[in-house]
Amino acid sequence: MSEDIIVAKGITVRYGDFTAVDDLSVNVRKGEIYGFLGPNGAGKTTTAKVLATMMTPTAGTIVIGGHDTSRNPREARQLVGVVQQHIAVDKDISVRENIIVRAMLHKVPRRLIEERMAELCEIIGLTPYMDKTVQQLSGGWKRKLAIVCALIHDPEILFLDEPTAGLDTQSRHMLWDMVRVLNRRGTTVFITTHYMDEAESLCDRVSIITHGRLTDTGTPKELCDRLGRFTVEYDGEDGRRQYRFFDSREEAKTFFDTVEEMNGLIRGTHLEDVFLEETGRTNVKALEKALRI
Amino acid sequence: MSFIDEVYRVALSDLYYLRRNILPLLATSLITPLLYLVAFGYGLGNGVVMEGVSYIAFVIPGVVSLTTLSSSFTTISNKLMVQKRFYESFDEMMLCPISKSSIIFGKTILGIIKGMMCGSILLALGFLMTDDLHITVGLVACMLLSCVVFSLLGVAAGMIVSDLPRMNLFNSFVILPMTFLCGTMFSLNALPEVVKVIIDLLPLTQTSACIRASALGWEFPWLHMVLLVAYGALFYLLALWSLRKSN
Ligand SMILES: Nc1ncnc2c1ncn2[C@@H]1O[C@H](COP(=O)(O)OP(=O)(O)O)[C@@H](O)[C@H]1O
Ligand SMILES: [Mg+2]
Repeated sequence: MSEDIIVAKGITVRYGDFTAVDDLSVNVRKGEIYGFLGPNGAGKTTTAKVLATMMTPTAGTIVIGGHDTSRNPREARQLVGVVQQHIAVDKDISVRENIIVRAMLHKVPRRLIEERMAELCEIIGLTPYMDKTVQQLSGGWKRKLAIVCALIHDPEILFLDEPTAGLDTQSRHMLWDMVRVLNRRGTTVFITTHYMDEAESLCDRVSIITHGRLTDTGTPKELCDRLGRFTVEYDGEDGRRQYRFFDSREEAKTFFDTVEEMNGLIRGTHLEDVFLEETGRTNVKALEKALRI
Repeated sequence: MSFIDEVYRVALSDLYYLRRNILPLLATSLITPLLYLVAFGYGLGNGVVMEGVSYIAFVIPGVVSLTTLSSSFTTISNKLMVQKRFYESFDEMMLCPISKSSIIFGKTILGIIKGMMCGSILLALGFLMTDDLHITVGLVACMLLSCVVFSLLGVAAGMIVSDLPRMNLFNSFVILPMTFLCGTMFSLNALPEVVKVIIDLLPLTQTSACIRASALGWEFPWLHMVLLVAYGALFYLLALWSLRKSN
Protein backbone atom coordinates (compact mmCIF):
# COMPACT_ATOMS: atom_id res chain seq x y z
CA MET A 1 0.00 0.00 0.00
CA SER A 2 2.60 2.54 1.02
CA GLU A 3 5.44 1.50 -1.27
CA ASP A 4 7.89 4.39 -1.83
CA ILE A 5 8.22 5.44 -5.46
CA ILE A 6 10.81 8.15 -4.74
CA VAL A 7 13.43 7.76 -2.06
CA ALA A 8 15.82 10.70 -1.84
CA LYS A 9 18.53 10.92 0.78
CA GLY A 10 20.83 13.76 1.77
CA ILE A 11 20.08 15.97 -1.23
CA THR A 12 22.27 19.07 -1.25
CA VAL A 13 22.44 21.67 -4.01
CA ARG A 14 24.93 24.52 -3.98
CA TYR A 15 25.06 27.41 -6.41
CA GLY A 16 28.59 28.66 -5.88
CA ASP A 17 28.86 29.01 -2.11
CA PHE A 18 25.11 29.50 -1.65
CA THR A 19 23.35 26.38 -0.39
CA ALA A 20 19.89 26.27 -1.99
CA VAL A 21 18.99 22.78 -0.73
CA ASP A 22 20.56 21.49 2.44
CA ASP A 23 20.82 17.77 3.26
CA LEU A 24 17.20 17.05 2.45
CA SER A 25 15.58 13.62 2.51
CA VAL A 26 12.16 12.88 1.02
CA ASN A 27 10.05 9.78 0.47
CA VAL A 28 7.12 9.89 -1.90
CA ARG A 29 4.67 7.01 -1.68
CA LYS A 30 3.20 5.36 -4.75
CA GLY A 31 -0.23 6.73 -5.54
CA GLU A 32 -0.22 9.74 -3.24
CA ILE A 33 -0.42 13.47 -3.88
CA TYR A 34 2.60 14.89 -2.14
CA GLY A 35 2.79 18.62 -1.49
CA PHE A 36 6.02 20.51 -1.15
CA LEU A 37 5.32 23.80 0.59
CA GLY A 38 7.59 26.76 1.07
CA PRO A 39 7.84 30.52 0.62
CA ASN A 40 9.48 31.97 -2.49
CA GLY A 41 13.16 31.13 -2.68
CA ALA A 42 12.87 28.24 -0.23
CA GLY A 43 14.27 25.75 -2.72
CA LYS A 44 11.08 24.10 -4.03
CA THR A 45 11.92 24.36 -7.72
CA THR A 46 15.49 23.24 -7.17
CA THR A 47 14.36 20.19 -5.19
CA ALA A 48 11.69 19.31 -7.75
CA LYS A 49 14.23 19.54 -10.58
CA VAL A 50 16.65 17.31 -8.72
CA LEU A 51 13.98 14.70 -7.89
CA ALA A 52 12.77 14.76 -11.49
CA THR A 53 16.36 14.09 -12.69
CA MET A 54 16.59 17.38 -14.57
CA MET A 55 19.46 18.52 -12.41
CA THR A 56 22.33 16.69 -10.73
CA PRO A 57 22.61 17.55 -7.02
CA THR A 58 25.91 18.49 -5.40
CA ALA A 59 25.40 15.56 -3.03
CA GLY A 60 22.76 12.94 -2.26
CA THR A 61 21.13 9.90 -3.84
CA ILE A 62 17.75 9.52 -5.50
CA VAL A 63 16.02 6.25 -6.27
CA ILE A 64 12.95 6.39 -8.49
CA GLY A 65 10.89 3.23 -8.85
CA GLY A 66 13.93 1.21 -7.77
CA HIS A 67 16.31 2.90 -10.23
CA ASP A 68 19.22 4.90 -8.86
CA THR A 69 19.22 8.10 -10.91
CA SER A 70 22.99 8.33 -11.14
CA ARG A 71 23.37 4.74 -12.31
CA ASN A 72 20.22 4.21 -14.41
CA PRO A 73 19.13 7.70 -15.41
CA ARG A 74 17.20 6.51 -18.50
CA GLU A 75 15.05 4.01 -16.61
CA ALA A 76 14.41 6.53 -13.84
CA ARG A 77 13.53 9.30 -16.30
CA GLN A 78 11.03 7.11 -18.10
CA LEU A 79 8.92 7.16 -14.93
CA VAL A 80 8.85 10.94 -14.63
CA GLY A 81 6.71 13.65 -16.21
CA VAL A 82 7.39 17.31 -15.47
CA VAL A 83 5.45 20.54 -15.70
CA GLN A 84 7.85 23.34 -14.87
CA GLN A 85 7.05 26.63 -13.22
CA HIS A 86 7.80 28.41 -16.48
CA ILE A 87 5.74 26.33 -18.85
CA ALA A 88 7.87 24.79 -21.55
CA VAL A 89 5.54 24.36 -24.51
CA ASP A 90 6.36 25.62 -27.99
CA LYS A 91 4.21 28.69 -28.52
CA ASP A 92 4.69 28.80 -32.29
CA ILE A 93 2.87 25.55 -33.03
CA SER A 94 -0.56 24.12 -32.28
CA VAL A 95 -1.78 22.21 -29.24
CA ARG A 96 -1.93 18.94 -31.20
CA GLU A 97 1.53 19.50 -32.68
CA ASN A 98 3.01 20.16 -29.24
CA ILE A 99 1.64 16.89 -27.94
CA ILE A 100 2.83 14.89 -30.94
CA VAL A 101 6.29 16.45 -30.70
CA ARG A 102 6.59 15.47 -27.06
CA ALA A 103 5.33 11.96 -27.73
CA MET A 104 7.85 11.55 -30.55
CA LEU A 105 10.68 12.77 -28.33
CA HIS A 106 9.71 10.15 -25.78
CA LYS A 107 9.51 7.51 -28.54
CA VAL A 108 5.92 6.65 -27.76
CA PRO A 109 4.86 4.05 -30.36
CA ARG A 110 3.01 5.87 -33.14
CA ARG A 111 -0.14 3.80 -32.90
CA LEU A 112 -0.44 4.78 -29.22
CA ILE A 113 0.04 8.52 -29.70
CA GLU A 114 -3.41 9.32 -31.13
CA GLU A 115 -5.14 7.10 -28.61
CA ARG A 116 -3.40 8.57 -25.56
CA MET A 117 -3.68 12.12 -26.84
CA ALA A 118 -7.44 11.71 -27.28
CA GLU A 119 -7.84 10.17 -23.83
CA LEU A 120 -5.77 12.74 -21.95
CA CYS A 121 -7.26 15.72 -23.78
CA GLU A 122 -10.72 14.43 -22.99
CA ILE A 123 -9.92 14.17 -19.28
CA ILE A 124 -8.30 17.57 -19.20
CA GLY A 125 -10.80 19.24 -21.49
CA LEU A 126 -8.37 20.31 -24.19
CA THR A 127 -10.23 18.60 -27.02
CA PRO A 128 -11.90 21.76 -28.42
CA TYR A 129 -8.57 23.58 -28.57
CA MET A 130 -6.49 21.02 -30.44
CA ASP A 131 -5.87 23.12 -33.55
CA LYS A 132 -5.29 26.47 -31.86
CA THR A 133 -1.73 27.70 -31.64
CA VAL A 134 -0.40 27.96 -28.12
CA GLN A 135 -0.18 31.75 -28.43
CA GLN A 136 -3.97 31.84 -28.61
CA LEU A 137 -4.40 30.03 -25.27
CA SER A 138 -4.70 31.69 -21.85
CA GLY A 139 -2.42 30.80 -18.95
CA GLY A 140 -4.60 28.06 -17.46
CA TRP A 141 -4.97 26.27 -20.80
CA LYS A 142 -1.26 26.49 -21.49
CA ARG A 143 -0.66 24.76 -18.20
CA LYS A 144 -3.16 22.06 -19.07
CA LEU A 145 -1.38 21.52 -22.35
CA ALA A 146 1.90 21.26 -20.47
CA ILE A 147 0.29 18.61 -18.26
CA VAL A 148 -0.90 16.56 -21.25
CA CYS A 149 2.59 16.83 -22.73
CA ALA A 150 4.12 15.68 -19.45
CA LEU A 151 1.80 12.66 -19.32
CA ILE A 152 2.00 11.52 -22.93
CA HIS A 153 4.71 8.91 -22.24
CA ASP A 154 2.58 7.51 -19.40
CA PRO A 155 4.90 8.29 -16.48
CA GLU A 156 4.19 7.04 -12.97
CA ILE A 157 4.95 10.35 -11.27
CA LEU A 158 3.86 13.79 -12.32
CA PHE A 159 5.84 16.78 -11.03
CA LEU A 160 3.90 20.04 -10.93
CA ASP A 161 5.93 23.12 -9.96
CA GLU A 162 3.58 25.83 -8.69
CA PRO A 163 0.90 24.85 -11.20
CA THR A 164 -1.67 27.44 -10.11
CA ALA A 165 0.55 30.50 -9.65
CA GLY A 166 -1.08 33.38 -11.50
CA LEU A 167 -4.28 31.53 -12.42
CA ASP A 168 -7.78 32.85 -11.71
CA THR A 169 -10.01 31.09 -9.20
CA GLN A 170 -11.99 29.07 -11.78
CA SER A 171 -8.82 27.80 -13.44
CA ARG A 172 -7.32 26.92 -10.08
CA HIS A 173 -10.28 24.77 -9.11
CA MET A 174 -10.42 23.14 -12.54
CA LEU A 175 -6.76 22.29 -12.23
CA TRP A 176 -7.20 20.79 -8.78
CA ASP A 177 -10.02 18.61 -10.05
CA MET A 178 -7.89 17.49 -12.91
CA VAL A 179 -5.05 16.55 -10.59
CA ARG A 180 -7.52 14.52 -8.52
CA VAL A 181 -8.81 12.70 -11.61
CA LEU A 182 -5.28 11.90 -12.78
CA ASN A 183 -4.40 10.71 -9.31
CA ARG A 184 -7.45 8.42 -9.28
CA ARG A 185 -6.16 6.89 -12.51
CA GLY A 186 -3.02 5.93 -10.63
CA THR A 187 -0.54 8.76 -11.20
CA THR A 188 1.56 9.77 -8.21
CA VAL A 189 1.72 13.57 -7.98
CA PHE A 190 4.49 15.73 -6.55
CA ILE A 191 3.27 19.30 -6.34
CA THR A 192 5.03 22.42 -5.09
CA THR A 193 3.05 25.41 -3.95
CA HIS A 194 2.96 28.31 -1.56
CA TYR A 195 -0.84 28.31 -1.41
CA MET A 196 -2.01 26.56 1.73
CA ASP A 197 -5.61 26.05 0.58
CA GLU A 198 -4.19 24.18 -2.39
CA ALA A 199 -2.12 21.89 -0.21
CA GLU A 200 -4.93 21.36 2.28
CA SER A 201 -7.56 20.42 -0.25
CA LEU A 202 -5.35 18.41 -2.59
CA CYS A 203 -2.48 16.72 -0.80
CA ASP A 204 -2.36 13.44 1.09
CA ARG A 205 0.93 14.43 2.70
CA VAL A 206 2.93 17.62 2.75
CA SER A 207 6.42 18.78 3.65
CA ILE A 208 7.35 22.30 4.62
CA ILE A 209 10.66 23.67 3.40
CA THR A 210 12.42 26.90 4.36
CA HIS A 211 15.91 27.99 3.37
CA GLY A 212 16.57 24.64 1.75
CA ARG A 213 15.73 22.60 4.87
CA LEU A 214 12.72 20.42 5.62
CA THR A 215 11.02 21.51 8.82
CA ASP A 216 8.04 19.15 8.92
CA THR A 217 6.35 16.28 7.08
CA GLY A 218 2.99 14.62 7.51
CA THR A 219 -0.66 14.73 6.53
CA PRO A 220 -2.10 18.26 6.73
CA LYS A 221 -4.11 17.09 9.73
CA GLU A 222 -1.06 15.66 11.51
CA LEU A 223 0.79 18.92 11.04
CA CYS A 224 -2.13 20.92 12.45
CA ASP A 225 -2.53 18.52 15.38
CA ARG A 226 1.15 18.73 16.17
CA LEU A 227 0.90 22.49 16.47
CA GLY A 228 -2.39 22.30 18.41
CA ARG A 229 -5.85 21.49 17.09
CA PHE A 230 -7.34 24.75 18.31
CA THR A 231 -6.24 28.27 17.58
CA VAL A 232 -7.10 31.39 19.50
CA GLU A 233 -6.30 34.65 17.79
CA TYR A 234 -6.64 38.18 19.18
CA ASP A 235 -5.29 41.71 18.78
CA GLY A 236 -2.06 42.20 20.74
CA GLU A 237 -1.06 45.30 22.70
CA ASP A 238 0.86 46.66 19.69
CA GLY A 239 -2.10 46.08 17.35
CA ARG A 240 -0.63 43.00 15.67
CA ARG A 241 -2.67 39.84 15.50
CA GLN A 242 -1.47 37.22 18.03
CA TYR A 243 -1.96 33.45 17.74
CA ARG A 244 -1.92 30.76 20.43
CA PHE A 245 -2.36 27.03 19.82
CA PHE A 246 -3.98 24.44 22.11
CA ASP A 247 -4.39 20.68 22.09
CA SER A 248 -7.85 20.65 23.63
CA ARG A 249 -10.96 22.72 23.30
CA GLU A 250 -11.07 23.30 27.08
CA GLU A 251 -7.58 24.83 27.23
CA ALA A 252 -8.40 26.97 24.24
CA LYS A 253 -11.69 28.10 25.77
CA THR A 254 -10.03 29.01 29.06
CA PHE A 255 -7.48 31.17 27.28
CA PHE A 256 -10.10 32.61 24.94
CA ASP A 257 -12.09 33.93 27.90
CA THR A 258 -9.10 36.12 28.84
CA VAL A 259 -8.75 37.69 25.39
CA GLU A 260 -12.36 37.84 24.24
CA GLU A 261 -12.48 41.63 24.54
CA MET A 262 -9.38 41.96 22.39
CA ASN A 263 -11.23 40.93 19.23
CA GLY A 264 -10.69 37.32 20.24
CA LEU A 265 -11.62 34.35 18.06
CA ILE A 266 -11.48 30.62 18.60
CA ARG A 267 -11.24 28.23 15.66
CA GLY A 268 -9.68 25.02 14.34
CA THR A 269 -6.01 25.23 13.30
CA HIS A 270 -5.31 25.52 9.54
CA LEU A 271 -2.29 24.44 7.57
CA GLU A 272 -1.65 28.13 7.00
CA ASP A 273 -1.02 28.55 10.74
CA VAL A 274 1.51 25.72 10.68
CA PHE A 275 3.17 27.18 7.62
CA LEU A 276 3.44 30.66 9.12
CA GLU A 277 4.68 29.35 12.45
CA GLU A 278 7.37 27.23 10.84
CA THR A 279 8.53 29.47 8.02
CA GLY A 280 8.09 32.59 10.10
CA ARG A 281 10.10 31.23 13.00
CA THR A 282 12.89 30.08 10.73
CA ASN A 283 12.93 33.45 9.00
CA VAL A 284 13.45 35.20 12.32
CA LYS A 285 16.27 32.79 13.08
CA ALA A 286 17.90 33.48 9.75
CA LEU A 287 17.54 37.18 10.33
CA GLU A 288 19.07 36.87 13.77
CA LYS A 289 21.91 34.88 12.32
CA ALA A 290 22.50 37.43 9.60
CA LEU A 291 22.45 40.30 12.07
CA ARG A 292 24.45 38.29 14.63
CA ILE A 293 21.99 39.13 17.40
CA MET B 1 19.54 4.75 -38.79
CA SER B 2 18.40 5.38 -35.24
CA PHE B 3 20.49 8.58 -35.34
CA ILE B 4 18.51 9.88 -38.32
CA ASP B 5 15.29 8.83 -36.62
CA GLU B 6 16.21 10.77 -33.47
CA VAL B 7 17.27 13.83 -35.48
CA TYR B 8 13.85 13.81 -37.13
CA ARG B 9 12.10 13.58 -33.77
CA VAL B 10 14.05 16.56 -32.46
CA ALA B 11 13.45 18.55 -35.65
CA LEU B 12 9.71 17.86 -35.73
CA SER B 13 8.62 20.96 -33.78
CA ASP B 14 10.72 23.18 -36.04
CA LEU B 15 9.26 21.47 -39.11
CA TYR B 16 5.75 22.23 -37.89
CA TYR B 17 6.87 25.81 -37.27
CA LEU B 18 8.32 26.03 -40.77
CA ARG B 19 5.15 24.68 -42.34
CA ARG B 20 3.07 27.32 -40.59
CA ASN B 21 5.36 30.25 -41.34
CA ILE B 22 7.14 29.37 -44.54
CA LEU B 23 6.30 32.53 -46.51
CA PRO B 24 7.20 35.15 -43.89
CA LEU B 25 10.34 33.21 -42.98
CA LEU B 26 11.53 33.02 -46.58
CA ALA B 27 10.61 36.63 -47.29
CA THR B 28 12.60 37.93 -44.30
CA SER B 29 15.62 35.84 -45.21
CA LEU B 30 15.52 36.78 -48.88
CA ILE B 31 15.00 40.51 -48.75
CA THR B 32 18.58 41.47 -47.78
CA PRO B 33 20.35 39.23 -50.31
CA LEU B 34 17.95 40.42 -53.03
CA LEU B 35 18.82 44.02 -52.22
CA TYR B 36 22.51 43.12 -52.42
CA LEU B 37 21.95 41.51 -55.81
CA VAL B 38 20.15 44.55 -57.15
CA ALA B 39 22.50 47.12 -55.61
CA PHE B 40 25.81 45.42 -56.32
CA GLY B 41 24.87 43.33 -59.31
CA TYR B 42 22.83 45.74 -61.39
CA GLY B 43 24.03 48.89 -59.66
CA LEU B 44 27.68 48.35 -60.47
CA GLY B 45 26.64 47.09 -63.88
CA ASN B 46 28.17 44.63 -66.25
CA GLY B 47 31.18 46.81 -67.05
CA VAL B 48 33.15 45.85 -63.94
CA VAL B 49 35.28 42.74 -64.20
CA MET B 50 36.45 40.90 -61.06
CA GLU B 51 38.92 37.98 -61.14
CA GLY B 52 38.22 37.49 -64.81
CA VAL B 53 34.41 37.37 -64.79
CA SER B 54 31.66 39.99 -64.93
CA TYR B 55 30.94 41.47 -61.51
CA ILE B 56 27.41 40.10 -61.45
CA ALA B 57 28.71 36.56 -62.00
CA PHE B 58 31.27 37.17 -59.27
CA VAL B 59 28.84 38.54 -56.73
CA ILE B 60 25.98 36.02 -57.07
CA PRO B 61 27.91 33.08 -55.50
CA GLY B 62 29.05 35.52 -52.80
CA VAL B 63 25.48 36.53 -52.02
CA VAL B 64 24.45 32.87 -51.98
CA SER B 65 27.28 32.18 -49.50
CA LEU B 66 26.35 34.98 -47.13
CA THR B 67 22.72 33.87 -47.31
CA THR B 68 23.63 30.37 -46.16
CA LEU B 69 25.25 32.06 -43.18
CA SER B 70 22.59 34.61 -42.33
CA SER B 71 19.48 32.53 -42.89
CA SER B 72 20.84 29.40 -41.20
CA PHE B 73 22.50 31.09 -38.30
CA THR B 74 20.07 33.79 -37.20
CA THR B 75 16.89 31.72 -37.03
CA ILE B 76 18.51 28.94 -35.07
CA SER B 77 20.52 30.98 -32.61
CA ASN B 78 17.62 33.25 -31.68
CA LYS B 79 15.02 30.50 -31.48
CA LEU B 80 17.27 28.32 -29.36
CA MET B 81 18.30 31.07 -26.99
CA VAL B 82 14.68 31.96 -26.38
CA GLN B 83 13.72 28.30 -25.88
CA LYS B 84 16.54 27.80 -23.43
CA ARG B 85 16.30 31.06 -21.53
CA PHE B 86 12.62 31.77 -21.36
CA TYR B 87 10.86 28.46 -21.76
CA GLU B 88 13.41 26.07 -20.31
CA SER B 89 12.10 23.57 -22.85
CA PHE B 90 15.62 22.29 -23.27
CA ASP B 91 15.56 20.91 -19.74
CA GLU B 92 12.55 18.85 -20.66
CA MET B 93 14.18 17.56 -23.81
CA MET B 94 16.95 16.25 -21.56
CA LEU B 95 14.38 13.98 -19.92
CA CYS B 96 13.70 12.25 -23.24
CA PRO B 97 15.64 9.21 -24.38
CA ILE B 98 17.49 11.13 -27.11
CA SER B 99 21.26 11.41 -27.49
CA LYS B 100 22.98 14.79 -27.24
CA SER B 101 24.32 14.65 -30.79
CA SER B 102 20.80 13.96 -32.08
CA ILE B 103 19.61 17.05 -30.21
CA ILE B 104 22.35 19.17 -31.77
CA PHE B 105 21.79 17.95 -35.33
CA GLY B 106 18.02 17.95 -34.89
CA LYS B 107 18.17 21.63 -34.00
CA THR B 108 20.19 22.37 -37.17
CA ILE B 109 17.52 21.04 -39.53
CA LEU B 110 15.41 24.23 -39.61
CA GLY B 111 18.50 26.29 -40.51
CA ILE B 112 19.62 23.84 -43.16
CA ILE B 113 16.23 23.79 -44.87
CA LYS B 114 15.89 27.55 -44.74
CA GLY B 115 19.43 28.14 -45.96
CA MET B 116 18.98 25.67 -48.84
CA MET B 117 15.66 27.20 -49.88
CA CYS B 118 16.98 30.77 -49.89
CA GLY B 119 20.22 29.73 -51.57
CA SER B 120 18.35 27.88 -54.31
CA ILE B 121 16.01 30.78 -55.01
CA LEU B 122 18.96 33.16 -55.30
CA LEU B 123 20.85 30.76 -57.56
CA ALA B 124 17.81 30.43 -59.80
CA LEU B 125 17.56 34.23 -60.06
CA GLY B 126 21.29 34.48 -60.69
CA PHE B 127 20.99 31.90 -63.44
CA LEU B 128 18.54 34.26 -65.18
CA MET B 129 20.80 37.28 -64.67
CA THR B 130 24.00 35.94 -66.19
CA ASP B 131 25.20 33.09 -68.44
CA ASP B 132 28.44 32.46 -66.53
CA LEU B 133 26.89 30.41 -63.68
CA HIS B 134 26.94 26.61 -63.73
CA ILE B 135 24.54 24.85 -61.44
CA THR B 136 26.19 21.53 -60.58
CA VAL B 137 25.93 18.78 -58.02
CA GLY B 138 29.19 20.08 -56.50
CA LEU B 139 27.64 23.51 -56.05
CA VAL B 140 24.59 22.13 -54.28
CA ALA B 141 26.82 19.98 -52.08
CA CYS B 142 28.92 23.02 -51.13
CA MET B 143 25.77 24.97 -50.26
CA LEU B 144 24.54 22.10 -48.13
CA LEU B 145 27.85 21.77 -46.30
CA SER B 146 27.88 25.47 -45.63
CA CYS B 147 24.30 25.43 -44.28
CA VAL B 148 25.21 22.54 -41.96
CA VAL B 149 28.31 24.33 -40.66
CA PHE B 150 26.54 27.63 -40.00
CA SER B 151 23.53 25.91 -38.46
CA LEU B 152 25.91 24.18 -36.07
CA LEU B 153 27.34 27.60 -35.27
CA GLY B 154 23.76 28.76 -34.64
CA VAL B 155 23.15 25.89 -32.21
CA ALA B 156 26.42 26.58 -30.39
CA ALA B 157 25.70 30.31 -30.13
CA GLY B 158 22.09 29.70 -29.04
CA MET B 159 23.33 27.41 -26.29
CA ILE B 160 26.21 29.58 -25.09
CA VAL B 161 24.98 33.16 -25.44
CA SER B 162 22.72 33.96 -22.52
CA ASP B 163 20.58 36.92 -23.61
CA LEU B 164 19.37 39.02 -26.52
CA PRO B 165 21.72 42.02 -26.10
CA ARG B 166 24.74 39.71 -26.18
CA MET B 167 23.34 37.85 -29.17
CA ASN B 168 22.93 41.18 -30.99
CA LEU B 169 26.50 42.06 -30.07
CA PHE B 170 27.70 38.80 -31.60
CA ASN B 171 25.60 39.47 -34.70
CA SER B 172 26.96 42.99 -35.14
CA PHE B 173 30.61 42.29 -34.42
CA VAL B 174 31.07 38.81 -35.86
CA ILE B 175 28.31 37.82 -38.24
CA LEU B 176 27.70 41.12 -40.05
CA PRO B 177 31.40 41.94 -40.70
CA MET B 178 31.87 38.40 -41.99
CA THR B 179 29.05 38.80 -44.49
CA PHE B 180 30.77 41.78 -46.09
CA LEU B 181 34.44 40.90 -45.75
CA CYS B 182 34.80 37.23 -46.51
CA GLY B 183 35.19 37.52 -50.27
CA THR B 184 31.45 37.68 -50.76
CA MET B 185 31.18 41.14 -52.37
CA PHE B 186 34.72 41.78 -53.58
CA SER B 187 37.95 39.97 -54.27
CA LEU B 188 40.28 39.51 -51.32
CA ASN B 189 43.33 40.08 -53.55
CA ALA B 190 42.99 43.83 -53.10
CA LEU B 191 43.37 43.69 -49.31
CA PRO B 192 46.55 44.41 -47.29
CA GLU B 193 48.44 41.19 -46.49
CA VAL B 194 47.79 41.16 -42.71
CA VAL B 195 44.05 41.69 -43.06
CA LYS B 196 43.93 39.10 -45.82
CA VAL B 197 45.49 36.41 -43.63
CA ILE B 198 42.90 36.96 -40.91
CA ILE B 199 39.97 37.05 -43.29
CA ASP B 200 41.32 34.03 -45.14
CA LEU B 201 40.83 32.00 -41.98
CA LEU B 202 37.20 32.97 -41.30
CA PRO B 203 34.58 30.29 -42.00
CA LEU B 204 32.56 32.33 -44.51
CA THR B 205 35.71 32.79 -46.62
CA GLN B 206 35.90 29.02 -47.00
CA THR B 207 32.25 28.89 -48.02
CA SER B 208 32.44 31.64 -50.60
CA ALA B 209 35.63 30.21 -52.10
CA CYS B 210 34.03 26.77 -52.49
CA ILE B 211 30.68 28.02 -53.74
CA ARG B 212 32.21 30.50 -56.17
CA ALA B 213 34.67 28.00 -57.58
CA SER B 214 31.97 25.43 -58.22
CA ALA B 215 29.51 27.97 -59.63
CA LEU B 216 32.03 29.50 -62.05
CA GLY B 217 33.79 26.26 -62.95
CA TRP B 218 37.11 27.30 -61.40
CA GLU B 219 39.60 24.83 -60.00
CA PHE B 220 38.11 23.51 -56.76
CA PRO B 221 39.79 24.83 -53.56
CA TRP B 222 40.01 21.61 -51.55
CA LEU B 223 41.94 23.22 -48.72
CA HIS B 224 39.07 25.64 -48.12
CA MET B 225 36.64 22.76 -48.01
CA VAL B 226 38.76 20.90 -45.46
CA LEU B 227 38.87 24.05 -43.33
CA LEU B 228 35.10 24.42 -43.61
CA VAL B 229 34.59 20.85 -42.39
CA ALA B 230 37.01 21.56 -39.55
CA TYR B 231 34.93 24.59 -38.58
CA GLY B 232 31.82 22.37 -38.60
CA ALA B 233 33.53 19.93 -36.24
CA LEU B 234 34.60 22.80 -33.97
CA PHE B 235 31.07 24.25 -33.80
CA TYR B 236 29.63 20.79 -33.10
CA LEU B 237 32.07 20.27 -30.23
CA LEU B 238 31.24 23.71 -28.82
CA ALA B 239 27.53 22.88 -28.88
CA LEU B 240 28.18 19.50 -27.27
CA TRP B 241 30.31 21.09 -24.57
CA SER B 242 27.67 23.66 -23.65
CA LEU B 243 24.93 21.03 -23.69
CA ARG B 244 26.95 18.85 -21.29
CA LYS B 245 27.71 21.82 -19.08
CA SER B 246 24.11 22.97 -18.82
CA ASN B 247 22.98 19.56 -17.57
N1 LIG C 1 20.74 29.02 -11.17
C1 LIG C 1 20.83 29.57 -9.95
N2 LIG C 1 21.96 30.21 -9.55
C2 LIG C 1 22.07 30.75 -8.33
N3 LIG C 1 21.10 30.72 -7.41
C3 LIG C 1 19.94 30.11 -7.73
C4 LIG C 1 19.73 29.51 -9.01
N4 LIG C 1 18.50 28.98 -9.04
C5 LIG C 1 17.95 29.24 -7.83
N5 LIG C 1 18.81 29.91 -7.05
C6 LIG C 1 18.57 30.34 -5.65
O1 LIG C 1 18.25 29.21 -4.90
C7 LIG C 1 17.20 29.49 -3.99
C8 LIG C 1 16.07 28.52 -4.19
O2 LIG C 1 15.48 28.74 -5.45
P1 LIG C 1 14.20 27.94 -5.95
O3 LIG C 1 14.47 26.50 -5.84
O4 LIG C 1 13.86 28.46 -7.28
O5 LIG C 1 13.12 28.41 -4.88
P2 LIG C 1 11.52 28.32 -4.95
O6 LIG C 1 11.13 27.50 -6.13
O7 LIG C 1 11.13 27.70 -3.65
O8 LIG C 1 11.02 29.73 -5.04
C9 LIG C 1 16.80 30.93 -4.22
O9 LIG C 1 17.38 31.72 -3.22
C10 LIG C 1 17.37 31.27 -5.56
O10 LIG C 1 17.75 32.62 -5.61
MG1 LIG D 1 9.96 27.95 -7.72
